[in-house]
Amino acid sequence: MVIYGANGDLTKRKLMPALYRLAYEGRLAPGFAVIGLSRTAMSSDDFRDRMKDSVKKFLEDSPFDEDLWTSFAQGIFYLAGDVADQASYEAVRKCLSEVEESRKTEGNVLFYLSTQPSQYAQIAEGLGAAGLNKGNGWRRIVIEKPFGHDLKSAVELNARLQKVFEEKEIYRIDHYLGKETVQNIMAFRFGNGIFEPLWNRTYIDHVQITAAESIGVEGRGAYYQEAGALRDMIQNHLLQVMATVTMEPASSFTSDAVRDERAKLLRAVRIMRPDQVPDNAVAGQYGSGRSGSEKVPGFREEKGVHPDSQTDTYAAVTFLIDNWRWAGVPFYIRTGKALPKRVSEIAIQFRTAPLAMFRKATAGAETVPNMLILRIQPEEGISLRFVSKRPGSGMQLRPVSMDFNYGSSFGERSPSAYETLLLDAITGDATLYTRQDMVEASWSAVQPILDYWSTQKFAFPNYEAGTWGPKESDEMLARWGHTWRRP
Amino acid sequence: MAAGASIKPDGILKQLGELWTTMAKPEAAELSEGGVLRACAMTLISFVDDEEDALALGDILASLMKEHPSRAVVVRLKEGEDFLDARVFAQCWMPFGHRRQICCEQVEITASMDRLADVASLVGPIAVPDLPRMILLRSARLVRAGALRKILALGDKIIVDSARAGAPGFGELGGLLDAGHITGDLAWTRITELRALLAQLLDKRRPASILIEYAGKEAGPESRYLEAWLASSLEGCQVGLKGSGGAGDGKPRAIHVDTDLAVEIGHGAAEYDIGTLHRRASMSACSDQELLNSELSIVGHDLVFERALNHITA
Repeated sequence: MVIYGANGDLTKRKLMPALYRLAYEGRLAPGFAVIGLSRTAMSSDDFRDRMKDSVKKFLEDSPFDEDLWTSFAQGIFYLAGDVADQASYEAVRKCLSEVEESRKTEGNVLFYLSTQPSQYAQIAEGLGAAGLNKGNGWRRIVIEKPFGHDLKSAVELNARLQKVFEEKEIYRIDHYLGKETVQNIMAFRFGNGIFEPLWNRTYIDHVQITAAESIGVEGRGAYYQEAGALRDMIQNHLLQVMATVTMEPASSFTSDAVRDERAKLLRAVRIMRPDQVPDNAVAGQYGSGRSGSEKVPGFREEKGVHPDSQTDTYAAVTFLIDNWRWAGVPFYIRTGKALPKRVSEIAIQFRTAPLAMFRKATAGAETVPNMLILRIQPEEGISLRFVSKRPGSGMQLRPVSMDFNYGSSFGERSPSAYETLLLDAITGDATLYTRQDMVEASWSAVQPILDYWSTQKFAFPNYEAGTWGPKESDEMLARWGHTWRRP
Repeated sequence: MAAGASIKPDGILKQLGELWTTMAKPEAAELSEGGVLRACAMTLISFVDDEEDALALGDILASLMKEHPSRAVVVRLKEGEDFLDARVFAQCWMPFGHRRQICCEQVEITASMDRLADVASLVGPIAVPDLPRMILLRSARLVRAGALRKILALGDKIIVDSARAGAPGFGELGGLLDAGHITGDLAWTRITELRALLAQLLDKRRPASILIEYAGKEAGPESRYLEAWLASSLEGCQVGLKGSGGAGDGKPRAIHVDTDLAVEIGHGAAEYDIGTLHRRASMSACSDQELLNSELSIVGHDLVFERALNHITA
């Protein structure tokens, strides 16, 4: 595995701990090797020491085994080089040959681009020019989001990548899809018989997808300023989650069969006209506020952020899906920073009972609709809300919740998203990776919003840190007669 | 969590998650052969003043969990400055003849009054989604605080006991009603048995006047509620209040209906004559736990209570 951007945060926090954990579980081939490449000058020994510190620090729910590390570290190498310099690719080729010989890797190579997105195409082309896209074994390339910064650049990036690698060799990683609970959505829908018959416009009133962060940008303001919530979360992670919730059942659980259905769903997302954007998309930016005992500075007070920044730290969008199953059902997606708690979940609200026969007995209280909650994080699980009669005389109804909790039900550790996805890439299973047509379809869905917002001057900040976003977001749902759920 | 440390909703929720994961592990489950069942039907947020009341509340919550299992959030408000601390734990009980423990989680937050804004931003996010949020307001300090409205906005229903010292007055309760809050008052719940008895006695009558006699110089909230309930229920009936003078708790001690029916209240019973028959009905002095148990059962609006409260505040 060749990691570009090996001295970066992602390698330290996610990739290397995930690889170590896979080694701990004996899921990597004995000759597995990592070649790290970045501009920083250091020896392989220095790199190993840094990675050891990172693994110790960021390894979650696992013990650190010194002996295992010693063995694992024998397969770690480092090259200093600039991706703009073709000589660096020659150095990689030379190192790969040596590793192939010494560790018997059979020529299989996974290139992992953990660099600036602007370098993806350049690196792919450099690999192609050096002939590294072909070899004795398989060659695959993993790229991190963002896959372009708009539809046009995504199409261009795909075209440049595909000049060097075949589509089946390109693995676009969306770590949300690697989360156990996102995978479990498919198990829940297609492994059980009771919910799928209800999974349509006849029984489902609307769906809310929330990905809330309680922290602000915390020093990453300069980076975040270029992205924004819509690009950073909705275009990729949350539209993929929505596709997983709403796609048709695949004929088999194979990579292309599943991805075909996801792509088909994403292509069915209604593309907004510019005049529809104000009613269906809300941008927000947090001002200063509190989260428990901590004061959270406003986004514009963050280092590196322009004092008049127009970046959206909150975005909420109403999507409609134009297909037979979902016509007319609104899908509300919201994401934001500096919200009251960290939570990612999908709330599926079913239609109310057709007759409120208990209204009199419940003192005029409205009928409480059934709700199914698929919790992605932090407390992974599934809840079903329904009403029940309270024991005793009279007919007093009250909402109750039936709860399944991963942690306490299975009691065993769930693999991290990167463990799952790295192992999938190594074994050639692209089911949980996004494909070119999926990426372009999701960009198509958000592009009108980006275009419209780029013409606006927002009165930011419009929500206080530690609250659930701007009031315009509530108004967006109110137009449909709905309210945001309190997660 | 140590006092002075950073306390955030995510940290408390993480601790709660770890608590249940630990309790689900086989070694913990061995304590009861059948494991543990996490029970929760609401979030019950209680605001109390001092340690003494917090201890009393602890007993009440432990009793309530059988009928109203909840995520109990107890906020202890104290004098002093710049103090905020939180801890989580579980309370369990084993139903007789069962092998599985039933457990409820509890979050205890201790805060000085100057940290009320922090408390508001902590309590909202840790409430259980989709289930009722009940606020039990027993803190006189909080009633006096400026941040009261912000705190009370966290709940679906606010329960007070207007008979307690420092409790919100009828005007404040009416203000909460007007602001759209569902409210409950244990002083009202305390007269439930008496109201049930009077409803039976007056079912076939159209009384012209009713006089409620209370102990002491000033009518307590129970007497005021009784008057308001009768006046708002019996059109054309003259309902009055009369104190016995001297010392007294202000609670109703006799109800005179026209000139032919008198209900004497005292010693845990109500006594009255119908014709030549002398009748006695038990009027148990309900504990706080029993009153709360009853009030927590009403999640939505109690229209009869609201009508009585509106009558008082009109």
